[in-house]
Amino acid sequence: MTTTTNAPAGTATPVLGAGVTRVDGPLKVTGAVPYADDLAPRDALVGVLVGSTIAAGQISLVDASDALAAPGVVAVISHHDAPSVVRPNEASADERAPRPPFQDATVRFHGDHVAMVVAQTREEAVHAATLLHVSYDVSEPVVDLNDPRATREDDDPAGADSTRGDLERGLAEADVVVAADYVTGDNTNNPIGLFAACAEWDGESLHMWATTQWPSNTADCLAEAWGVPREDVRVECPYLGGGFGSGLRPWPYIHAAAIAAKVVGRPVRVVLSRPQMFTDVGHRPETVQHVRLGARRDGTLTAVEHTATIPVAVDDDNPENVVSGTRQGYAVEHLRADVDQVRLHISPPGSMRAPGEAQGNFALETALDELAVELDIDPVRLRLHNDATTNPDQDDLPWSSKALDQCLRRGAELIGWDDRDPAPRSMRDGDQLIGYGVAAVSFFYFQQPCTVRVVVRRDGTAAVHCAAMDIGTGTYTVVTQVAAERLGLGLGDVEVVLGDSSLPPSPPAGGSGLATAISNAVALAVTAVLDDLDLSGAPGRDALSRAVGARDEVAAEATAEPPDPAEMGMSPSGAFGAKFARVRVDADLGLVRVERLVSVIDCGQVLNERTARSQVIGGAVGGIGHALLEHTVTDLHAGPQTGRITNAHMADYLIAVNADVPDLEVEFVGGPDRLNPVGVKGVGEVGLCGVAAAIGNAVFHATGRRVRRLPITPDLLL
Amino acid sequence: MHPFTYTRVDDVEAASAAVTTDAVSRAVQGPDDTVFIAGGTTQLDLMRDGVWSPGTLVDVSRLPLADVELDEDTLVVGAAVTMADLARHEAVADLDVLRDSLLLAASPQLRSMATVGGNVLQRTRCRYFRDPEVTQCNKRRPGSGCAAIEGTARTHAVLGVDAGCIAVHASDLAVALVTLDARVRLHGPDGGRTIPVADLHVRADVDPARDNVLAAGELVTHLEIPVPDARTGYLKVRDRASYEFALTSAAVVARVEDGILAHVAVGLGGVGSVPWRATRAEEVLRGQRASLALFEQAAAAELADAFTVPGTDFKPELARRTLVRQLRDVTEVTA
Ligand SMILES: Cc1cc2nc3c(=O)[nH]c(=O)nc-3n(C[C@H](O)[C@H](O)[C@H](O)COP(=O)(O)OP(=O)(O)OC[C@H]3O[C@@H](n4cnc5c(N)ncnc54)[C@H](O)[C@@H]3O)c2cc1C
Ligand code: SF4
Repeated sequence: MTTTTNAPAGTATPVLGAGVTRVDGPLKVTGAVPYADDLAPRDALVGVLVGSTIAAGQISLVDASDALAAPGVVAVISHHDAPSVVRPNEASADERAPRPPFQDATVRFHGDHVAMVVAQTREEAVHAATLLHVSYDVSEPVVDLNDPRATREDDDPAGADSTRGDLERGLAEADVVVAADYVTGDNTNNPIGLFAACAEWDGESLHMWATTQWPSNTADCLAEAWGVPREDVRVECPYLGGGFGSGLRPWPYIHAAAIAAKVVGRPVRVVLSRPQMFTDVGHRPETVQHVRLGARRDGTLTAVEHTATIPVAVDDDNPENVVSGTRQGYAVEHLRADVDQVRLHISPPGSMRAPGEAQGNFALETALDELAVELDIDPVRLRLHNDATTNPDQDDLPWSSKALDQCLRRGAELIGWDDRDPAPRSMRDGDQLIGYGVAAVSFFYFQQPCTVRVVVRRDGTAAVHCAAMDIGTGTYTVVTQVAAERLGLGLGDVEVVLGDSSLPPSPPAGGSGLATAISNAVALAVTAVLDDLDLSGAPGRDALSRAVGARDEVAAEATAEPPDPAEMGMSPSGAFGAKFARVRVDADLGLVRVERLVSVIDCGQVLNERTARSQVIGGAVGGIGHALLEHTVTDLHAGPQTGRITNAHMADYLIAVNADVPDLEVEFVGGPDRLNPVGVKGVGEVGLCGVAAAIGNAVFHATGRRVRRLPITPDLLL
Repeated sequence: MHPFTYTRVDDVEAASAAVTTDAVSRAVQGPDDTVFIAGGTTQLDLMRDGVWSPGTLVDVSRLPLADVELDEDTLVVGAAVTMADLARHEAVADLDVLRDSLLLAASPQLRSMATVGGNVLQRTRCRYFRDPEVTQCNKRRPGSGCAAIEGTARTHAVLGVDAGCIAVHASDLAVALVTLDARVRLHGPDGGRTIPVADLHVRADVDPARDNVLAAGELVTHLEIPVPDARTGYLKVRDRASYEFALTSAAVVARVEDGILAHVAVGLGGVGSVPWRATRAEEVLRGQRASLALFEQAAAAELADAFTVPGTDFKPELARRTLVRQLRDVTEVTA
């Protein structure tokens, strides 16, 4: 369990919105932060996972004799000797948890776990793993999205599909129709912190330290897997070194640690290698999308069609909604949105920062740019003209808050939109072509219940307890702020304890939902504890201390539930944003460099200007990578397909480095959201969305070349 | 990683004596091999990836080979000088092609570890070579074929290659060195020899299983780099603005007198199985009046016989443009 203590105690000034520094900043910069793996018992053995070298088939033999004879080796575990473990959520139609490893002889993707070597040290285990002889009965895998043999499922992941009005009619009403295909490459989350899990059994009780963005759910799943009471499972993860969605699910390596610890009767820790980070913890699936837009001469959209095909693993679910932004983004009467999934022998895709929306936004917002060109209408004006002031995807209920128009106007002002020459390939500086591009974002709303306990102690200080995880976004900090503000305490008087499944349950640190859920839960729990304390006047340290009296402490729990939109008479808003890019493209060499990137965001009440800005900046950096660099490549060389990733390495998988990133400009507009008392909307993912389209549109403006594929690399611009 | 023994030697003689097989020149190393390690940024990577498993490493990074000296018009650089130290040495401040080939390579962290000796002897980045799981690789397993030909080959070579192997030699420094007519001083069990850097590497279309011509026990002790009386430059083209190998690069050394290319040397990176000296381009350029049209012609001549596969289709064109651009920038020709 970890606590954070903060600087100035005793001062009670309003802190909401203020850019206070991270309460965990000093721990982080001094290297004192306890990541999950740092908490593992020091006597833990080390487990190294061995991945399959084929993409589909059956394991016919695991010959461990050489590996077992190697120095330091304690055990080799495969489907022959692993205890049976139930797959959590097996009954769910579309959200089964990942399959625990070593349960059968089937290989479902390259890198699927076939065995695990447990040894005294990591070096010994890694070496012994190379001595393991695994034989397979190989089947012909399907690893290519375009392979006609792949099973296509019209399975409506995450309720993505939607039909509104009559598309054909909308197209008939249009003066102009644009239609094109868009392709986005597969990306891998690649947090710098390698994921780790350590398991320790005490009888039937399981204690785990594991990299996760969702301790509550990881504990639920482990309890189900082992058939043990939930209270006998504890998952701790006070900090992790980046997640970007890859820590949302109880991945096999977590089960592997529990299985190994059970088998050897000692704590076992598993740390993934970098290549394993490409196959073990999800990735953003590639997409092939088709967008057709119909509009009248004045720019009014009459029809929108957006379809997408995305891969999913043969035996997994990934409810990735590629068309959510399209459904609610613009006021259009006639719409068809449809996502099909294709089952491939690939490692399970999962959430990666702005799952679905990152890819879908690129297609839609590029298509809108193409429409603007076709109509000869300013792309900013086109978006403003079609701005949906009510939610067309939810019975046209008014939004709980929406300032997309302000985002677009302010962004245009900041980047100097009106000063550009709008003609394609018209702006040049020596060898460099200059271009401007815009994209808008309507991010989806996601909320789940969150429970928080607030404890007021005899000395008037307080503690907040919640299982929620701070993935580096600033959850510790904003929870401290909200609690301090409502209790009339200084930041230093509030201790926040997170990242432990034994605390009150929380939703994931994902879907841009946690800040809203937890801040409102804190607000409710503070109200409850003040009620219990019978405190009617202004709180504050002295008043709280007096109210607690002779007791040690007084605690109250409260749960923030997502409200019912119909009952509220409004449609819950996610964040909105506008992205503006100015790029330079070398006219001969095709090199694209982002010179300016402006993000204007409406995320409701800004809890902390500094951490919110960091979120948008981090998202924008991810967006530059998405646009220009990142691409996980599956080997499609001739001969038997292995499904092997050819660049599972940080030297070959290119993420944006500082030199690729200009000074990123961020502004917030809009005000508190009406739906929840604190007025928050999430800001975690809106930062990445739209960046790729804004850059792609800027590349078009610079060069006159339309690239409908990500990443946009120099060879596509020669 | 396979278990190995690590030793450190104090002098050049001992280093040479310690290495009795020719593994430093071979594309693969096994448990019976003893090899040198300097900064380890290539050597350890390949051991971690399970491609190499030498039995013994002899650390040469602390040999007294860490000086940079100017001997008349020749820079003499010890093999153990780090890339970072050479890049910031005053002797290279005006030798743009050399300095930039260093500064545009890898990352500051790597440049501080990596030595110039190790740099010129680095191995290909081909991910099929670097993954022992891949069975088709003529470099690792002669006769097994080449997985890159129909695979992911964006970073592969188009010159000095054939269907047997299209691995690129990815060193930027070595491209600058061959363009500068640099030499390597070698010390072996039978004494020393000095050879041009241009003769150090083995082309993939000659023998993919051999990366360089070092004999058993031969140690690179120094680089000898003539400082030309000319303008120089290095242009590196890559997706990422920093910390990436070249898709293409061009090293140019040129002196223009009265509009005529009195002296010219050209190298290409990212496209050759060895650091590529563009002799065909030089033939077109030498003694001619510098012009953009001439540069186009020279670049086209150099890449006329490029061997491409679907993944490298774009490279000859990108290499041509890279070379033309750099010839233009170094000569400051405008038309
Ligand atoms: C992520 C990454 C990015 C990189 N990017 C670039 C880049 O952009 N451009 C670029 O040019 N390079 C790049 N490199 C390569 C890097 O520069 C080389 O790995 C480095 O220069 C090798 O030097 P070292 O001292 O570490 O050699 P080592 O790894 O120690 O040795 C390399 C080889 O040379 C042999 N050897 C070393 N010293 C001697 C000697 N004195 N005599 C005989 N044999 C010797 C060793 O036996 C070994 O086979 C990159 C490397 C990495 C890992
Ligand atoms: S290019 Fe050369 S190194 Fe790469 S797979 Fe082919 S033979 Fe092996």
